[in-house]
Amino acid sequence: MNRSYYWLILGLSVPAFIWLVPTIWMVSLSFQPNDVLARTTSSTALGLIPIPFTPDNYIALFRFGQVPMWFLNSLIVSVGMTLAVLAVSTTAGYALARLDFPFKGPVIVLCLMGLMVPEQAVFIPLYTMFADWGWHNSHHALILPRVAVPIGVFLMMQFFKAIPKDIEEAARIDGVGWLQIFWYVMLPLARPAMMTLAILTFLYAWNDYLWPLVSAQQREYFTITLGLASIQSNFAQAEGLGRVMASGVIASLPVVALFLIFQRYVVRAMTAGGTKG
Amino acid sequence: MPRQHASGFALTQRQAAVILLAPFLTVYAVFLVYPFFKGIWISLHDWNLMAVAFNPDAKTYVGLRNYERVMWGRNITWGALASPGFQIIGLIGVLASAFLYRTGRAGKVTALAMGIATLLLFVLPGFHPGEGGRWYDRRFWPTVGNTILFVGLAVPGVTITAMLLAAALDGETRAKAVLRTLFFLSQVLSVTVVTLIWQIMFSPRQGLIANLTQLFGGSPIVWLTAEGFAMAAIVIATIWWSLGIAMILFLAGIQDISKDLYEAGALDNATGAKAFWYITLPNLKRTITVVVVLQIILHFQVFGQSHLMTSGGPNDTTQVLVRYIYQTAFRDSELGRASAMAVFLFVIMGGFSILQFVLGREKDE
Repeated sequence: MNRSYYWLILGLSVPAFIWLVPTIWMVSLSFQPNDVLARTTSSTALGLIPIPFTPDNYIALFRFGQVPMWFLNSLIVSVGMTLAVLAVSTTAGYALARLDFPFKGPVIVLCLMGLMVPEQAVFIPLYTMFADWGWHNSHHALILPRVAVPIGVFLMMQFFKAIPKDIEEAARIDGVGWLQIFWYVMLPLARPAMMTLAILTFLYAWNDYLWPLVSAQQREYFTITLGLASIQSNFAQAEGLGRVMASGVIASLPVVALFLIFQRYVVRAMTAGGTKG
Repeated sequence: MPRQHASGFALTQRQAAVILLAPFLTVYAVFLVYPFFKGIWISLHDWNLMAVAFNPDAKTYVGLRNYERVMWGRNITWGALASPGFQIIGLIGVLASAFLYRTGRAGKVTALAMGIATLLLFVLPGFHPGEGGRWYDRRFWPTVGNTILFVGLAVPGVTITAMLLAAALDGETRAKAVLRTLFFLSQVLSVTVVTLIWQIMFSPRQGLIANLTQLFGGSPIVWLTAEGFAMAAIVIATIWWSLGIAMILFLAGIQDISKDLYEAGALDNATGAKAFWYITLPNLKRTITVVVVLQIILHFQVFGQSHLMTSGGPNDTTQVLVRYIYQTAFRDSELGRASAMAVFLFVIMGGFSILQFVLGREKDE
């Protein structure tokens, strides 16, 4: 490595640190006592180092308040949505990629057109439908609309298309049925693609804001993302800045952990979701 | 059926396809296709949320009246310089896309799309109320303008920053991988965490930025409630939030550029910034187009930043389209008008989605 390389890294570390400052600040504030924060947010090093230090905000968060419940709701909705999306996308994706049936072309086009419809174009009619059925303020109301988005079907379809035909044909000659081929041959091969889709869906579900805002009006059914929105407008007075920041940290933990552990998949998932959906 | 086999329970390909497709197609039909058409249906009605909830017959068919009430007015005329800012940019854009196409610097699809978009930017803002006239809805077009302004600031901001970072961070070393991770990290946060952080960052009393300015003896800016700064503030938060994906797409694009080009360039003394300008940039044209279109689609749907950080204010300067739709539907209960705006949003986004799809196809071939 030559000298200019080290200068480059050093030069980029400064913007990288600045980029990280808002996040560090949130974490740091969450560990400072509320009465101190009411006076100043820049006690030590502009507030970037949590001195004076206290874990009280987190303790209070789990003792009182609705953050643990919202967290649980988010977990139920995100896991539920992920499983549902995986189920419908792998099955439909396999059928569209590998099976022959009448009207296959039109069905693919019909599904492809769904990618053009943004969430904001259907959230009003969805609201009236769910209101008619009395479905609002439930977990399935938060899950179902996203399961209908065809992005997963297309990711899986593209994946299955790329698998060589002879694997399937060998199984067919041995007299294996189509559903068995799907379950025993194709699904195990599809694990990396399913992982990507699962992470994409989980991130989306965890971070979704507009639809939960419309559908969940009772605080017991808020997701953590929605709950955080409801407490940030009056943060200073009601709960204390430190506690609101602690809620923000808790709300971010699962997605940040997911990112740090499965970085490669997360990056792939987010770019796939971005470019195709 | 030649492929029929011994065991009696074996399904034909057709039956298997129906079974495998049924779950998705059912959900798709009920929760996406049907709502889409119901949205258009609602937009053709005078439809009050509360009234219809109590009495399903309390809606009246009004044809295209909602579209008229949202987008049109009394005595509307057209002038070439009624809204000079947008129109001049639009005109320059039309000429630029023609020039880029003629000189072969942009592909047919790119040039055509850019031409249409900028032509609309020239034509649409030209409509304005003539003498004694007025818009039926005074807030709609300014809201669309704010949304376009937001897109116009956020997209170049994200694209240029992401491209420079990607060029600098391309490479297999550990330090670069760590730096890439740091820059990508904010992308996974939810919009409400992002707005929480930045609301307090920008706060004139408690904010980090205010603390910094005071340290250097300046007086803090009231970012989120000052007319000139509110839009800038939500754009800054947005760039911070959504840089990651663009950076990753650029990294992929840069990795596709042949290493031979750089080696040949190095012989001609083209390294560093020179190599970026003469080798990286010309070879990234496709990626730039893809990133720009993707970002336009993404940022046109902006809602949370405006809703949570500025509440559309001050004085409607950060009011954006999705927030206006949301308010018209769920605060004013006017589902008909809100749906007409949602259809408008769909037409614009649909256009860009088709463009995105065509671009994706081009790449595969």
